Amino acid sequence: MDHALWQSVLGEIELSVSHATFTTWFKNTELVDQSAEGVVISVPNIFAKKQFEVKFNDQIKSVLEKNGVTPKHITYTITTSGKRTRVNREITVDAATHQTADELLSPQPHTSQTYTTPAVSPTGNLNPRYTFDNFIVGSSNDLAYTASQAVAANPGMKYNPIYLYGGVGLGKTHLMQAIGNEIIKTRPGTRVLYISVETFVNEFLDHIRFKKKGFSEKYRNVDVLIVDDMQFIANKEKTQEEFFHTFNHLHQNNKQIIISSDKPPKSIPTLTERLRSRFEMGMTIDVQMPDFETRCAILSAKAALSGVELSQETVEYLATNIKTNIRELEGALNQLLAYAEMRGVSPDVSTAEGLLGNVRQSRPQHLTSKQIIDRTAKHFQLKVEEICSAKRDKHIVVPRQIAMYLLRSELHLSFPKIAGELGRKDHTTAIHSVEKIEKAIKLDFLIREQVASIRETLYV
Amino acid sequence: MELTVTQENLARALSVVGRVASNKTQLPILNNILLRTDGNRLLIAATNLEIASAQYIGAKIAKPGALTIPARLVSEFISSLPKGSVELKVVNDNLHIKSGSYSSVINGVIADDFPELPTINEDSSIQYSIKTEDFKQAVSQTIITTSSDSTRPVLTGVYWHSHDGELYLAATDGYRLSERRLVQTTSEVSAIIPTQTLQEVLRTIVDDATEIDILFDETQVRFRINEAEIISRLIDGNFPDYRQLIPKKTETTVIIDKADFIRVTKIAGLFARESGGSITLTASDEKKSLSLHSIASQLGENTSETAANVTGEGQVTLNSRYVSEALSVLEGDEVDFSFSGKLAPCVLRSTDVNTDYLHIIMPLKS
Repeated sequence: MDHALWQSVLGEIELSVSHATFTTWFKNTELVDQSAEGVVISVPNIFAKKQFEVKFNDQIKSVLEKNGVTPKHITYTITTSGKRTRVNREITVDAATHQTADELLSPQPHTSQTYTTPAVSPTGNLNPRYTFDNFIVGSSNDLAYTASQAVAANPGMKYNPIYLYGGVGLGKTHLMQAIGNEIIKTRPGTRVLYISVETFVNEFLDHIRFKKKGFSEKYRNVDVLIVDDMQFIANKEKTQEEFFHTFNHLHQNNKQIIISSDKPPKSIPTLTERLRSRFEMGMTIDVQMPDFETRCAILSAKAALSGVELSQETVEYLATNIKTNIRELEGALNQLLAYAEMRGVSPDVSTAEGLLGNVRQSRPQHLTSKQIIDRTAKHFQLKVEEICSAKRDKHIVVPRQIAMYLLRSELHLSFPKIAGELGRKDHTTAIHSVEKIEKAIKLDFLIREQVASIRETLYV
Repeated sequence: MELTVTQENLARALSVVGRVASNKTQLPILNNILLRTDGNRLLIAATNLEIASAQYIGAKIAKPGALTIPARLVSEFISSLPKGSVELKVVNDNLHIKSGSYSSVINGVIADDFPELPTINEDSSIQYSIKTEDFKQAVSQTIITTSSDSTRPVLTGVYWHSHDGELYLAATDGYRLSERRLVQTTSEVSAIIPTQTLQEVLRTIVDDATEIDILFDETQVRFRINEAEIISRLIDGNFPDYRQLIPKKTETTVIIDKADFIRVTKIAGLFARESGGSITLTASDEKKSLSLHSIASQLGENTSETAANVTGEGQVTLNSRYVSEALSVLEGDEVDFSFSGKLAPCVLRSTDVNTDYLHIIMPLKS
């Protein structure tokens, strides 16, 4: 309650002072106590304390009154972590409350870089929200999950580098950050650096253009390097070379490298051979679309995080209707919860049905079989006539089968109809094709990739 | 505001206070220096919200008032003026400065937005008066071993604390440690003062100051030197219990002339640049000498030997920079350098029995 009150006070004050003033003084303040005597507000330092006492006191008092709190007086205290500085006019007997210093002075590692302070923040840019505990494991991602845990338990020893790939919103970033967070937790002091490849590219450019120093040190002075979205390194030859050297340096010193991308190494265009082979030398794992059960589990877990319990029906309804990725799933869930809260209704199936109309608006309702065939043909750079012809060349047969599969999965057409759309008379051809592609999707990455990308173009 | 001050006083105050003004914060007014009349004095102050520096100078005040002006411009302008009196006058938030044939107008910002300077309650805090000479020496002896690693904030300052009725200063960066006993105390103190604050205090000390007043309360510390004041936050957290790290006895003791030791360390250091400053010290009681050896794989190598009074034998590898820095702050002409094997901490101190200072260096793993 105190928290909400203070939030609304801050909200109001934010409007009346400049942005710089607000961020300088009001950040990291908190209402810590509220009683008949008055309220106590904690502030980060002595400067803020004085400033609040002298300059903001009246303003805070009047805003508090507007929010229905009439404090007799407001006191400000300085936030400290644990035991703070002690000052006492008399000496008291002090039972050693100090932290132990066993590991304080340790023989120095013998390197020539003794003086460079690591350019890595203690948390390594990681988002602490991403942990293994809140990662939901299903058959689609259990391999990735298990491998990630193995890496977190023995960084640099097992699976180095670990290369995770898969489509957007499937949890690659979550897994990578979870590895980082776990390592920091179990081995404090480990230098973990999380970056997206774009950061690497930009810093490399700065390094070349403005001769900025410390580039190599920053990346070579870490124990765990996590690089997100590796596919963006394509077409950047010099950067690839620099990354190659960084990679070698770290790998040689048994430092863990974790990479994610939306494609496997061999599908990244213009990735130099030596980088490709290196990416493949550790463990390359495919993070796949979550299956229905996993989607249900994710929804229930996310809802529980927001403190709401969804009925099994609602969960299943959402999971059935949203299949593309987890982000969309979360989006729909958030929308449902927000809507339910706003309207004061319960987030049940009927509410979800009303809403999903909205969610699905992003998908054209008027998707036609012609569009599917067109896009498929275009994707394989074939003519529509070729796909619909009777030719049995391999480079035409597979696209044709994919088109049939898509007609079945996206439009739920009957098999005779599908056969008809593609100029076949016999519906068993269609049945065979759909089954074949369904099976291939499970086994063959290339087919899965192609189907996914055609499907994406359908719903843009 | 309208007043007259002398150029010498104003220039000195501005140059000391102006350093604290910061352009790194989001609040633009912190780039500015505050000028405010106070009785028949002029207050000159700046803050970066970690430290506040303030000075009072005598002034002939015609009209009281306050204004803030950009720190850099005004300090550079005032320090370039010839000696003599300077007239300051505020017209429409602009500061008109006139001195002899020089006059200029500097655009100011009203003082209302300038942060209030923290104050300290003298009744509930602990006060020490320390001779500036002792203060300077003690701080420069300990400040060199503070850490700059912001991931361990407690090590980025000097730990002022009472122990067995004396006030001690201690600092460590994890590789070396220094401890200095300063004065007797009947109060209990345990406070970590940021390195930057102490550096700022050292710079603020003027030659004619004989004593420095230090006032602690639970969250802040104030230093007062004549008319200058520095107020700073303290670092939050517990300083490690470093005393258990000081070796009680050592296997090898070398008594050596300080000037000799400095020279051989410097020479050996020349050949140790590639190897991160690594020099190997070998003590021999047979030869009564300490020899230093360093290798630069590309350039060559060096062995220097100097006479020393050695008890026990041994070898240890240290960082030459750490040794040089430690020697540069040790008092006296003779050094007691003791160690126990290749991995245990080395102790350096003056052979003077009344010495208050102790310096510890961890060996390099060779």
